[in-house]
Amino acid sequence: MSAAPPVAVEPSRGSAERLRLPLALAAALLAGFCITALVSREPLRAYLTLLTGALPEIDWSASGGWQVRRLVRFGSVIEDFITLSFLGLALAVPFRARQFSLGADGQMFLAALAACAVSLALGGPWYRVLPAAAGAAMLTGFAWGLIPGLLKVRYQANEIVTTLMLNLVAVQFYQWIITGYLRDRGAGYLVTPALPAAALWPNLMPHTHVTLMLLLVPAAAAAVQLLLARTTLGYEIRAVGAAPAFARQAGMPVTRAVTLSMALGGVFAGLAGLHLSNALLQRLPVDLTPGLGYDGLVVALLARSEPKSVPLAAFFYAWLRTGALAMERSTDVSREMVLVIEALIILFIVADRLVPPGLPKALRRLWHRSGAGAEAA
Amino acid sequence: MSAVAMPMAAMGVTVLVAVLRNATPIIFAALGGLISDLAGSINVALEGLMLIAAFFGVIVSVHAAQWFPGLAPWMLPWLGCLAGLAMALVLAAVLALFHLELGADLIVAGIAINLLAAGLTVFLLVAIVGDKGSTAGLNSPSLPSLRMPGLAGLPLLDLLFNGEDGRGQHVLIYAALAGVAAVALFLSRTRWGTWIRAVGENRDAALAAGIPVKRMQYTALLLSGLLAGLGGIYLSMGYLTLFQANMTAGRGFLALAAIFLGRRRPAGTFAAAVLFGATASMAAWLGARHIDTQLVYMLPPLVTIAALVVAGARRRRS
Repeated sequence: MSAAPPVAVEPSRGSAERLRLPLALAAALLAGFCITALVSREPLRAYLTLLTGALPEIDWSASGGWQVRRLVRFGSVIEDFITLSFLGLALAVPFRARQFSLGADGQMFLAALAACAVSLALGGPWYRVLPAAAGAAMLTGFAWGLIPGLLKVRYQANEIVTTLMLNLVAVQFYQWIITGYLRDRGAGYLVTPALPAAALWPNLMPHTHVTLMLLLVPAAAAAVQLLLARTTLGYEIRAVGAAPAFARQAGMPVTRAVTLSMALGGVFAGLAGLHLSNALLQRLPVDLTPGLGYDGLVVALLARSEPKSVPLAAFFYAWLRTGALAMERSTDVSREMVLVIEALIILFIVADRLVPPGLPKALRRLWHRSGAGAEAA
Repeated sequence: MSAVAMPMAAMGVTVLVAVLRNATPIIFAALGGLISDLAGSINVALEGLMLIAAFFGVIVSVHAAQWFPGLAPWMLPWLGCLAGLAMALVLAAVLALFHLELGADLIVAGIAINLLAAGLTVFLLVAIVGDKGSTAGLNSPSLPSLRMPGLAGLPLLDLLFNGEDGRGQHVLIYAALAGVAAVALFLSRTRWGTWIRAVGENRDAALAAGIPVKRMQYTALLLSGLLAGLGGIYLSMGYLTLFQANMTAGRGFLALAAIFLGRRRPAGTFAAAVLFGATASMAAWLGARHIDTQLVYMLPPLVTIAALVVAGARRRRS
């Protein structure tokens, strides 16, 4: 059977479209608030913490002058932002070819493992070990993304099922290697040895793990943008996504576009893995939580698979996640609230008919009338 | 029977029962997924539907004693079971509503439902129980096991039906086996079953033939919610007697794979689900023999992928 084409992942414009995103966000946050109010004794304070908890605090005192506090917390927003941006790009590329590849999770796990293993095995100065680790991560992501692509074009294997299965395999493989082969015997828990300092990305913010990889985010987004807008392969990917029958009729290499869209997505999941191992965690624990790939899905959907918008969506989402941690620490609401909000955002975004078709026109009329009224007054 | 064959046969029976225990949640979810898949609506939300039913089954059966003090104790787990199924139905209805009325993409919406269930269960777990991991402190009941009387003279059958402790097998294991037959009959022999398959085969033709297409799609998605819910109930009120955060652990996705592996037929889907149950049993068995469990847990997904490849290759040759 063929998977239903993901209608909502195509970028599209129009007034109803422009209204949909803010409406979906507002509706999801409101519904989340209602659920919070049902169980919390202080829902208002909890929600305020969720929305503003990630903000650095700036205050002034006569003795100390200007002081910025809670920068560490803001640092974790940026750390999350980096991972989520790469994961968002990893899902956005196959989405543009209408491939529902959900394999970012597995690609990221294996890429992190590859980067970690290469860093530990190679050692040496940074100009040797860092590129090698990055190359290993990207190559691993590419290869693990290529598999479901090949299975799809060769054997019509549904990519949702194969990528989900490959995720399960990847997580088990990751745990197997760390438990059996990469384990640091001196540590009290199952974890790899700490990576050598030369293998770590240079730090940008003290007391956080924000590194130079931050600069790779705009570069990666621009690269995807260029790939899609300016290259033959990018054109083929978009054509296959927008009108597969047309692309086939026009003699385009459809199978190549399908496979490469999934494999190229894997490269960015690989970068997310590199960020986990060589910047954020600096040694890999065996119980790294699966499921980050789904957060990448939210980011790609929020950005409507538009590479330019992916960093923005990732920042919004990273903001919310860090705020949720603050909320959990200071109120009686647990951070899983964000999962609920995330789910509601997805539901409201993909609901095509959520905004009644007449609403934008009516709003515009209202806007013009009030504008005209203000001028007359 | 010789002195050697008897213990061998007894071991075989024990293994069979263990496999069925592991397979039951996957059988339920896969049967549900099969119905909606045949209606042309792939249900990726099986995982979340199981999870929400498992959670509310435990919570309601524990709290029902305070809400309805007059109730006999044996009724409490059944009340919880009903509540869990109702919540799974509600969630399936939300999915159907967003897909059929609001035009949401079914796969994306299904993934959202999974996230919603994962978040909501932990969120409510903290709010109600005050624990982030499980309801271990609640002492929740199990649904009953059924004991077959009059098997004392037939040791193998007694072992099969009543188990080593003589308490019988869980009622939902029987229900899962009956469910396979019921779903097969429903799909092939009833009018609604035929209509559901017609809608999945060719939506426009079904519409032209006067079949209420939308009602059939709703029915299929709601039925999949009900069956996946039963799988979840079995997990928290049979397989274990507590709720754990994310206790479905990918079984919903395995169920999805079982449908593909079983070539979208009830018997095939059942066989695939039993195969996955067997791998889970084997993982436990090998784990006890110092073989890395991670390697064993790679088997079900790898088997699934291999089966999809074989099916694809066969399709290409014909």
